[in-house]
Amino acid sequence: MRPLRSYAEPHATGVCLGLVLLACFALTGQGLGASGAFASVASGVIAAVSPETAVHSAYFRSYLQDGSPWTAWLVVEIMGVLVGAAASAVLAGRTRLTFVRAVRPSGGRLFAGLAGGMLMGVGAALARGCTSGLALSGGALLSAGAWIFMVALFLAGFLAAPLVRRLWP
Amino acid sequence: MNDLLIAGGIGIAFGWALECAGLGDPPKLAGQFYLRDFTVLKVMLSAMLTAMLGVFWGGRLGMLDPGALYVPETYLLPQLVGGLVFGLGFVLSGLCPGTSCVALASGRVEGAATMLGLFAGVLLVGLAFPRIEPFYRSTPHGPLTLQRLTGLPYGVVVALVTVVAVSTLAWIAKREAAQ
Amino acid sequence: MRLVRGLGIGALALGLVAPFVGSPSRTQQRGLDLDSIARAIDEGSDHVSARQLAEWIRDRRPGLRIIDVRSPDEFHDDAIPTAENLPIDQLVRSRFAPDQTIVLYSQEGAHAGQAWVMLRSLGVTQAVFVPGGLADWREEVLSPLLPANGPPAERARIVELSHYFGGSPRIGGEQEGEVAGAAQTGQRSRRRGC
Repeated sequence: MRPLRSYAEPHATGVCLGLVLLACFALTGQGLGASGAFASVASGVIAAVSPETAVHSAYFRSYLQDGSPWTAWLVVEIMGVLVGAAASAVLAGRTRLTFVRAVRPSGGRLFAGLAGGMLMGVGAALARGCTSGLALSGGALLSAGAWIFMVALFLAGFLAAPLVRRLWP
Repeated sequence: MNDLLIAGGIGIAFGWALECAGLGDPPKLAGQFYLRDFTVLKVMLSAMLTAMLGVFWGGRLGMLDPGALYVPETYLLPQLVGGLVFGLGFVLSGLCPGTSCVALASGRVEGAATMLGLFAGVLLVGLAFPRIEPFYRSTPHGPLTLQRLTGLPYGVVVALVTVVAVSTLAWIAKREAAQ
Repeated sequence: MRLVRGLGIGALALGLVAPFVGSPSRTQQRGLDLDSIARAIDEGSDHVSARQLAEWIRDRRPGLRIIDVRSPDEFHDDAIPTAENLPIDQLVRSRFAPDQTIVLYSQEGAHAGQAWVMLRSLGVTQAVFVPGGLADWREEVLSPLLPANGPPAERARIVELSHYFGGSPRIGGEQEGEVAGAAQTGQRSRRRGC
């Protein structure tokens, strides 16, 4: 029953994250991303299940036009995120599953996660990016759209927070 | 191939940093919206400041060309609405697309639920795309940047953003010290 | 806590110095702003006549920068006075201060027009080009055709400008001197300048 190891200092970690983003800019000319990987995989699934539907939607087409959606840059990057996060959690002793006392999330919480994920999927698709791809990467490049997205995100978050207080005791 | 190696490497570093900061922890992320835990803002502002200053000074010292970097395109209304919907989802799930992967990787079931939801969300948009396409493409402004929008030089915008971000972080630190 | 304070002070220092070191990017904005290009072409603010350029040179217009986009060989052969040679491939790698007026010219004008679009795509909006190129410079500035019955003031202005650059005007379409003769046969002499 070891206690969960505490997290690293947020500012210093933020600077490290910024350096990772900077390396990404320097190496690839683009920023980080996450939601694009989901869109890419979704396009791949649709193309495999029903190619007709995929061709009919310009959204799926845009993810299918350059090469296999399964080995798109962002998909590989997200695989890396899974590996990196798992490694970090194991090395720091923060893996939840190793703890007996790990609180199992309630059904309500899981449902909220699912619904929240769906809303974020729709939002990220409309905005052409998520917190990492648009807000962080675009924000660092001073993109106007990224800042609009960020302001709208926090505005909605703060407004909705009192309504779902039950979820986060 | 080389490209994908870079993708994997950058991804590992990205995931590592997110996990270290504790951004795979839904109550911690949601705590931001109840002003209980400022980790999200601290990490995001620090990372953005670092990258912004890095791009500016890297460009100034000739190490990279800021003009060659891909600036996300601005679509005013879709991004405004997208941000509102996204924020709602954020506070519901306590995770965002990148951190949901981190949550799953550190053994949290919520991460998987959110990832599944995200998948469903983009699928929904893709399927309904012919109908929402006009909205999706409305109010385009191209790769609009704050310096182009305000007409101020790049360096001045960088200075303004730095001052605002650092004072926000200082205010948070002060608030936390008081408690 | 000391680390955080250090990071904050570092960020502030880097941020506050930023306005005073100039623009970091050669390319100020990405992509072609097609609307503004169309507008510039429409209202003619994309080019300048050879005669107008001559007046700018004579009046020592501040911030004037004349760029010859031809090859160094051609530039060496003959060029507009005070011009510098920047062939097209080097042009896109150069930096331009926002307060400069950049005038592009080539032999006949086509390359200069293309260079103008290239600069626009790099966000350089303070450039213009000479539509007729060096050929126009010779014909309009060095050996201009004086209108036979134009107003005397206008004629005097043209003559004076031409003389300033070491040229000699032609009168009323009649042949005068070897330059005019060469121009008539369509073969412009290369070695003429001031």
